[in-house]
Formats: sequence, structure tokens, C-alpha cells
Amino acid sequence: MEITGADFVRGLALLGAGLAMGLGAIGPGVGEGYAAGKACEAIGRKPEEAGLLTRTMLVGQAVSESTGIYSLVVALLLMFVVK
Amino acid sequence: MEELGKISVWSVDVAGLHLVFNLTTIYMTLSVMGILILFAFLATRNKGIVPNTFQVIAEIFVDAFWKLTRDALDEDMAKTYFPMICAMFMFLLLCNWIGILPFMDEPTKDLNTTLGLGIMGFFIAHYAGIRTKGFKGYVKEYFQPIFFMMPLNVIGEIAKVVSISFRLYGNIMGGSIIILVVSYLVYGLIIPPFLYAFFGLFVGTVQAFVFTMLTLVYISVQVK
Repeated sequence: MEITGADFVRGLALLGAGLAMGLGAIGPGVGEGYAAGKACEAIGRKPEEAGLLTRTMLVGQAVSESTGIYSLVVALLLMFVVK
Repeated sequence: MEELGKISVWSVDVAGLHLVFNLTTIYMTLSVMGILILFAFLATRNKGIVPNTFQVIAEIFVDAFWKLTRDALDEDMAKTYFPMICAMFMFLLLCNWIGILPFMDEPTKDLNTTLGLGIMGFFIAHYAGIRTKGFKGYVKEYFQPIFFMMPLNVIGEIAKVVSISFRLYGNIMGGSIIILVVSYLVYGLIIPPFLYAFFGLFVGTVQAFVFTMLTLVYISVQVK
């Protein structure tokens, strides 16, 4: 079987998509876990503020998730747009 | 798996331009608008001291978002921008939730919808900034710490639009791709309803709230 240049580009694009998603998932994972841990500490200290803390935590996590979403968009571009 | 990344389009050539219309997105946006108008009609039909079901739901929305808007902006400015904020949240919430119905797609799965809303928020925020500070004060903001920071500030403003719209699009698109792939792997048994509940209802609510709050924060940053 002969490997042409187009096959090579396609393979590298798929490899890049996997790398982008895998490496890009590290940061949001660490960040969201840290935010959740801090929110747990705060709820332990002030249980009556649990509703406000949960809402703030969810919004902060959704914002810190965005770097992971960018890597997802890049991975989708590499998979479906690069031919 | 064949439906992955496929979207029904209608393309026409007018005067040398190649125009492409994403039909699914247009139908779904129109149906979301129709449902919202129907909801507003039902909520305001028999207004009274003893509210009906729809009026209670509408009052909960209005009350919660009025508090948030009043905290972020001051009283009379909040009166101007509150209807836009509340309507944007209800529209996005329904957009993200409509995907859990069979044969329905989220309009937010298309980048055009989210980018349009993001650009709308950008223009509204800058209009509010020019309105309150005057054109001179508005331009002065860009040269804030020292004068050569101007290009960085301009790029920062444009990056806000990209980040807010790609966040919503990526969340909804990624959720629907995960649902599709997992449904294919388990032959559509047992697991997909729970995935729809998580990615459709929970993530959809959180992302609609985040998009609305960030638009509000961008307006209040420009105004202050």
C-alpha cells in the first residue's frame, strides 16, 4: 500500500486533533477541580450561603472551561475541515 | 454516524455571490421565537393578583434577572438594558433545551447564531459606553495605562466576542457529538436519556446563564 502526501496530511491532522483535545483537557480539569474544592471549603465554613456559592462556582467553572472548549473547536476543525 | 457534522443547507447564487442558508438553524430559531411569543401571550393574557401558571413562571424570570441587572448596573440604566438581558436568557435557554425533543436541533449548535448574539452584545456594550462617557472618554479608555497599550486593548475587546460565542457553540456542539457517539456505541440503549439530561438540560442552563451574565458584565465594564 502506497502512502501519498494527502494521506500523510490527514493522519497528522487526526494526530493533532487527539493531541489538542488531550492536552487541552488538562487545564480545565485542574481549574474546575480547584474551584469545586474551594467552594466546598467555603460551604463548610458558611453552610447558609450554599445557594450563592454553588451558583458562583458553576459560573466560574463554565468560564474556566472555555480553554477546553477552544481545544475542542480546534480538534473539530482538524478532523472535519483539514482534508 | 453519517449525520455527524451534516447540516441541511440551501445555497443560491445571486449577482455573483454564493449565498448559503442553514435551513435547520432558521427553522429552529423561528420555532423557538414562536414558542416564546406564545409563552408571553399566555403569561400576560389574564393578568391579576392571583396569577395563572405562566404568569408565575414569567414573574420568577423577571424577578431574578431584575435583581442581577440592578446589582451590575445602576437603577435607571438597568431599566434600559433589563428587557434585553431577560429576553436573551429566555431565548438561549429555550434554544439549548429544544434539542432534547426528537427531530429538533439546537439553533446554538450553529456558530452563526452564537456569533450573531455575541456581536450584538459587543455593539450594545460599546453603545452604552459611548452614551455614558461621551466619545472622548470612550476613546481615552483604550489608551488607559500608557498610550502604546492601545493595540492590546483593541485585541482584548475583539477577543471577548470570539470567546463568548465560541464557548456557547463549543459546549452545545461538543455535547451533541458526545451524545451521538455514545448512542452509536451502545445502540441507543439505556444511557442516552441521561446524557440528554446532562448535556441538554444542565449544561444548557449553565451556558445560557453564563452567556447572559457575561454580556451584562461587558456592558457594566464599559459603563463604569
